Amino acid sequence: MTSTFHSIETAKRSLFAQTTALSTTGHNVANANTEGYSRQKVNMQASIPMEPFAFLHSTSPGQLGTGVEFDSITRVREKFLDDQYRNENTNFGSWSIQRDTLEKLEAIVNEPSKTGFRTVMDNFYKSWSDLSKNPEDVTARRIVKETTLALTDAMNQISRQLDSLSQDLDSNIAVKSNEIQGYLGNIANLNSAIVKVESLGDNANDLRDQRDLMADKLSKIMNITVTDTPQGYQIQMNGQELVTGGAVQATVDSAFLNNAYTAGTLTNGEVHGMIRSRDTLVSDYRKQMDDLANTLANGDIDITIPAGSVLPENNSLGLTGAARTLTSDMKVTVKGLNGLHQLGYSMDGTNNGGLPFFTAAGGGTAITAGNISLNAAILADPSKIATSLRTTTASGTETVIKGNNTLANLIANLKDTPMKSADGLSSATIGAQFSAIVGQLGVQSQEAARQTSNSEFLVQQVDTRRQSVSGVSLDEEMGNMIKFQHAYSASARFMTTYDQLLDKLINSTGMVGR
Amino acid sequence: MRITNNMLGAQLLMNLNRNAQQMNNTQTQLATGRKINKPSDDPVGITYSLRYRAELSSNEQYQKNVDSAVSWLEFNDTVLNQAGNVVQRLRELTVQATTGTNPQTALDSINEEVKQLKEQLIDISNSKLNGKYIFNGETYDVKPYDFPSNADGTLDTTNAASVVTDQGKINFIVGESVQLPINVSGNEVFGTATEQDNLFVIMNTVMQALQDGDQKELSNQLDIMDSRMGKILSIRSEIGAKTNRVDLMMGRLDDLGINLTDLQAKVEDADIAELSLKSKIQENIYNASLSVGAKIISPSLVDFLR
Repeated sequence: MTSTFHSIETAKRSLFAQTTALSTTGHNVANANTEGYSRQKVNMQASIPMEPFAFLHSTSPGQLGTGVEFDSITRVREKFLDDQYRNENTNFGSWSIQRDTLEKLEAIVNEPSKTGFRTVMDNFYKSWSDLSKNPEDVTARRIVKETTLALTDAMNQISRQLDSLSQDLDSNIAVKSNEIQGYLGNIANLNSAIVKVESLGDNANDLRDQRDLMADKLSKIMNITVTDTPQGYQIQMNGQELVTGGAVQATVDSAFLNNAYTAGTLTNGEVHGMIRSRDTLVSDYRKQMDDLANTLANGDIDITIPAGSVLPENNSLGLTGAARTLTSDMKVTVKGLNGLHQLGYSMDGTNNGGLPFFTAAGGGTAITAGNISLNAAILADPSKIATSLRTTTASGTETVIKGNNTLANLIANLKDTPMKSADGLSSATIGAQFSAIVGQLGVQSQEAARQTSNSEFLVQQVDTRRQSVSGVSLDEEMGNMIKFQHAYSASARFMTTYDQLLDKLINSTGMVGR
Repeated sequence: MRITNNMLGAQLLMNLNRNAQQMNNTQTQLATGRKINKPSDDPVGITYSLRYRAELSSNEQYQKNVDSAVSWLEFNDTVLNQAGNVVQRLRELTVQATTGTNPQTALDSINEEVKQLKEQLIDISNSKLNGKYIFNGETYDVKPYDFPSNADGTLDTTNAASVVTDQGKINFIVGESVQLPINVSGNEVFGTATEQDNLFVIMNTVMQALQDGDQKELSNQLDIMDSRMGKILSIRSEIGAKTNRVDLMMGRLDDLGINLTDLQAKVEDADIAELSLKSKIQENIYNASLSVGAKIISPSLVDFLR
């Protein structure tokens, strides 16, 4: 037997359920553009029918339905896609930073151009070639001085730019470490909030969405694994715990990240890209530029000093007395432009050998791209630029022959002379060594750009799949809205109908003849 | 697959972005006229490009050096021509003087002209190009034939024969590892101290002979003069040969310049026709994606519900 008001109850349940569904539709539509939001749905089911079994079972046939009830509101989400998204996002993070760095390096190198290092280098050798035609000419000497300054300035500037790029990366790592700490704190807080809410049997849909969003953002910065435990998300970086339950397990700062990079736990993500850019890419180019500067100044070169040349006293080749005058062409190895320059005579009125052409600014002996500079004595007095390799001795006085241009020619020819780097690994002209650097940069940059666009495409693809599952479709919501609205209307009509039924029963039954 | 509104938006945005990026690429290439604008555009190409640029720059310098060499050689040639003319005239005068019928007064007047020729010869031997004494080797800052003046204002060339000019060769770089000596020394042209046919010695001897009326000595000197003339001519022909070589060099450098420019263009230069076409196509695609995007993005079921 059903009760008199059984159907009123059925209608009421339906009204409640449809209202909830309609409200959820409203919630979905409202959050259609919310980042990280996944659509929610009300899980309705037919409520337990009337007739129990065993002794209380009545004799009326069939089981009478008792309407609808909803047991939960859940979000539609696929965890597998989340994991995939985070993996690809980490890759994308690392490559995009490396691509940016390499693009900046390309801008620093500034080739091909009419103002880059190569042009400055060409001008330097050209000025020597011009000087060789007029070795005694003050103007030509000034020009050599100026082109040398342009050359050292260009190297110093590249070095400074590499420095500031390195520093920028440094400070970016610090900023990112703050960001990471923020996300970790948020995830820990959300973990405890979710546990509290869900212990009451509800689904903390919106809090979970927020937590997933935080994990997504964190995954772009560093490599993390997310494990869903009863205490909430456990965040690990290659085995190292960052968040367990409601507690953040690590203090993330620059030092922490640098150590993690060295230890091999930080293997991907933006921060990895930054540290790798700083410690591998930028520092590699810095080293190559330093080597280039040092090779130019001190790298071994094989040259032939023509017969008839007279080497200065105290020359690096150890020739003294009459042996200083070469009677035949002599093949020698000298230490770079500095070594060569010291074999010649300048026009300063003395017959001392030349000075080292390049010196390290701020003292020291090691020449780098950052400190290479024209010898201060030559800067102050361009007549100290050595061009001659011949003296003449008249009545015991040795004087320099100013018109001899042998040294100037030798230096002008250095453009096509291989110079051996300090580590002895490469022997090529300075121009070829520089193009090798540029070529390497090009290949790396191209590779980084390709990897970035690949990983970006993958991220996009996974995100599309995720959106396909979790995203709010306005069409769908509108359809649902109509569905629920009609169900609501129909339930209301059903209630009205039953109301009329009861009205008839209560107010009109047994009134015959009245 | 379930398609949501945001997916459509994101997809459209990504595609628009990609199209815009391609357009930007094409525009950069069109604007610079180069297909290599940064190393990553063509890492292999850029190493070639840098090499061609460096070689072009060297080539420019070699061409400048060749020009300087040519002006040296031409000046040498001119000066040697003048020296040859002096010897020629000296010979004519000597021949004139040896015809036995000349009275001493005639010989004296011939001597006057020879004196003038000597002055001219000294001027020639001290010729300067750009402030450099061309006959004094590498010590071109020193006047090679520097003589004290006599009381009458003429120069005392008694020691002329013993003048030693510098034998240093001035080398100009006219090509990769090609050095060309471009000077001749005074001793080669005018004779050394030990040579009998030193031009200054000849002059002095002729003048003395004219003064003394020594016809025999005069005719002796004719042969010696011829020998010197021969040497001057051979030096001139050597300079001529060098000039030819430098001319060839210049032609080769010009050709090389054209070749290198051509190679550089092949590596670096953009194909403007192709790019213009590409740019137009990309523009159309971009416009199409914009207008199609505008159509698919806006409508939803909302638009069609009562």
